Amino acid sequence: MPGVILENLSGRKLFVLVSILLIGQFICFLIGGLIAPTPSSADTILATKCHDAGNNSDKWFYVRGKGKCNTIEDLKLKYSDTETQKHMANHIVFAFQIPTPRDNMVLDYSRWQQNLIGVLMFEVVYNPEAEMEPRTVISMDARLGYRNYGDAEDDWKYYASSFETRTLDCSIEVKKAGHHYNCSIVPLFELGSLHHDYYVINIRLPVDSDRKLNHGLGFVTDMWLVAINQNGGYTKVWMSMKVTFFPIIVAIMIWSWNRIHQLSRSPVLLEYMLLFLGCALTFLNMPLELFTLLFDLPFMLLFGDIRQGIFYAALLSFWLVFAGEHLMLQDEQKNHLRMYWKHLSGVAIGCISLFIFDLCERGIQLRNPFYSIWVTDLGTHLALTFIILAGISAALYFFFLSYMIWQVFTNISVKRATLPNMSNVRRLHYEGIIYRFKFLMLATLLCAAMTVIGFILDQISEGRWKWDEDLYLEYTSAVHTGVYGMWNIYIFALIVLYSPSHKQWPSEADLASTTEIEFNEISSLTSFSRKAALD
Amino acid sequence: MCAKLRLLGIGMALARRECLHSAILFFFLLLGFFLDSAHANWRTLGLTGINPAGAAIYLREKCTRPKHFGEKLSSICSYNDNILQAVANGAKMGIEECQHQFSMSRWNCSTFANTTSVFGGVTDIRSRETAYVFAISSAGVAYSVTKACSKGELNECSCDHKVHKRKPRRGNWQWGGCSEDINFGEKFSRTFVDSEENSESAFGLMNIHNNEAGRRIIRSQMKRICKCHGMSGSCNVRVCWRKLPTFRAIGDVLMQRYEGASYVRVVERRQKDEEKRKKRGKKLRAANPIFKQPNRTELVFLDPSPDYCERNETLGILGTHGRQCVQGSPRVDGCSILCCGRGYQTKIREVEENCNCKFFWCCKVKCETCHSKKEEHFCN
Repeated sequence: MPGVILENLSGRKLFVLVSILLIGQFICFLIGGLIAPTPSSADTILATKCHDAGNNSDKWFYVRGKGKCNTIEDLKLKYSDTETQKHMANHIVFAFQIPTPRDNMVLDYSRWQQNLIGVLMFEVVYNPEAEMEPRTVISMDARLGYRNYGDAEDDWKYYASSFETRTLDCSIEVKKAGHHYNCSIVPLFELGSLHHDYYVINIRLPVDSDRKLNHGLGFVTDMWLVAINQNGGYTKVWMSMKVTFFPIIVAIMIWSWNRIHQLSRSPVLLEYMLLFLGCALTFLNMPLELFTLLFDLPFMLLFGDIRQGIFYAALLSFWLVFAGEHLMLQDEQKNHLRMYWKHLSGVAIGCISLFIFDLCERGIQLRNPFYSIWVTDLGTHLALTFIILAGISAALYFFFLSYMIWQVFTNISVKRATLPNMSNVRRLHYEGIIYRFKFLMLATLLCAAMTVIGFILDQISEGRWKWDEDLYLEYTSAVHTGVYGMWNIYIFALIVLYSPSHKQWPSEADLASTTEIEFNEISSLTSFSRKAALD
Repeated sequence: MCAKLRLLGIGMALARRECLHSAILFFFLLLGFFLDSAHANWRTLGLTGINPAGAAIYLREKCTRPKHFGEKLSSICSYNDNILQAVANGAKMGIEECQHQFSMSRWNCSTFANTTSVFGGVTDIRSRETAYVFAISSAGVAYSVTKACSKGELNECSCDHKVHKRKPRRGNWQWGGCSEDINFGEKFSRTFVDSEENSESAFGLMNIHNNEAGRRIIRSQMKRICKCHGMSGSCNVRVCWRKLPTFRAIGDVLMQRYEGASYVRVVERRQKDEEKRKKRGKKLRAANPIFKQPNRTELVFLDPSPDYCERNETLGILGTHGRQCVQGSPRVDGCSILCCGRGYQTKIREVEENCNCKFFWCCKVKCETCHSKKEEHFCN
């Protein structure tokens, strides 16, 4: 990959370009921080306990509107031995109708809100006479229905249902009557598309002595649903970023590819890799999520993961190949992707195992939104296997990459020592390689460090940073848009700076200069020999 | 519809236009009937208020005297009756929690259905018991309204507009969600409960302080829970929310605050301070300047408590005669303290107790009956 723009760019021009890119980066960060809301928000909803008089498992129980259910205010413990109480459990339906009204408005979900995750919290009252095990299996009969704006208030339609078991981990500090157990949160469902306006969730905790259903369960008096959805504003900001970056990256790719084709030589491996990276980014940048505004596309969550996975795989492969191509050993031999199969297999294995894990979790959720791989022991082991496999391959990858970078640096120092003795052309060639490599290393390390620091700060901080009374910085969103913008800008810069330079074009002037160089070389050679002869 | 509602005798029908004629008549009849209870304490809702009629009438009665209500409250008058149901539930929760917490104290938070002040004359004394009652019932209202909001029973519940600084609109929720936790409940409790108090009087100041302390305890006991979701289930995106504590936990913390309540007196705010904020000229300061000033989550009282040992009809104190106590306990439930030094009797009783219980969801406990002899101690 001889003679790229980066080498021939004057310091002033490079400074201007880098400043523009940095300003772009800062704008991306501020868009997330000042315009976008938090990425997602959670609503906690308390269950309304409905009374099902006749065990109607097909009927919908909802809280508001025409035909709402008969509510049971409080569950009271009864000390009795009569059979009438026995089936009480099967007549209680925990009903959630989301979203809940606010400010005298009936709210409805917008398709901009993209996805919905449901998490349950159980209120279990401590009973000194019958304590609950710290680990209890809870069986639930869950149904999810929907209704759209304009439908009749009682016109709920079936979306999904499932019989699920979950493990409830509970602890209690003060063992006194009336206190509650401190129970873990329980994942309930995950909807990849929030296509409808209103949802209703009906949960029963059936009791069956033959099948030992819910036998060890304590006195569950209340149930909270935490409905987590992506914020519409966040999606809008995100989509506008995608819409902005998409044509820019496409344009710069076309520009770069044109330049490569204007050369007399065929493209080298690194140029193919850059193109591949650009394509992966373009695939990620494509605002395909906009289709969810029109169609019900539950696979969008999975698809988004896959797109991101492809991008990461491309980026990681690119770094490997880039380091490999700058080893400066035998330049010609390394020019094939085949040479890197050992290194790239780490990336492939990692990505494939994450992909399988994702398919197992989100793929099955397409069929059953209540499914979670983590609730069964087998599923947990399977999921952990894939995640550990991905972790190992990540470690291997970084080992390989560090090793290659170390090799490049040792070669650089070796070459440095011999540089003054080289001919002009060779020296320029090697100096170019070293400069290119160091520039990319610096940029990459900076970007990676910023990403890691951003996410770590996000994890430890409260999510919103206050500058003064009126100015809040939505830090989480800022990190997300900032990082997204950063990798776009990074790849943009790579494609621009690593495109072939004008000065390598086989024009008249160039030919003249090369002959001049050759002539110079010859003259230096002759002078050298002359000098030797003299000696 | 009108006839049906009247048959049910529900005051809610008042506002309905089709029933206006009869409603006005009905209203005046009721007004005459309840004129007597114009100063009725809202906490009575906790005793009687399970029927919405009482609650609705109470609110109408308050709303007809707007001078009693601040400007803020006029919005409450337009609320629907569900919110009063929530107030009634809150009052009930407060009373029940008070009775639970004080079950083994000399004063056991006894209520009287036939008085207007619920707890008898006890709450007219500016004591720490009064402080507890005010704090727990104000917390009860905030808690119950918050719960009703979470259930989606109330349309009035608001979002936290501080975050977005925008007027409530459907689009705002879709844009940035609702970061509401207990703000609405707190705000409602503040306007509703505090409206009873006169911020010029010492007692009023004390009650407002204790009401606020009760509400703040709820917030302080809320637990933050987070969940990760994101690409391939990584912690790319993390969302957090706050979990409402149990009311028992609030009662417990308030009991600790009760034990450490500060004895305060009213001081006039200095001229300079007054210029700064012209809100009110009086404030509460620790009676003994060497003690630290009570902060806003601590309970305050102005007068020492009566001893609650002997029966006092006018104050509504039942006395501790005949109360069961715990032998040898150094705390307030111990016989030496509870019986006020009058001594106690010990009775040995054959008791039937539940044992080897098995719980069946939802609501059944199946127990065996065990017989045992038990020593019980009662105050003289």
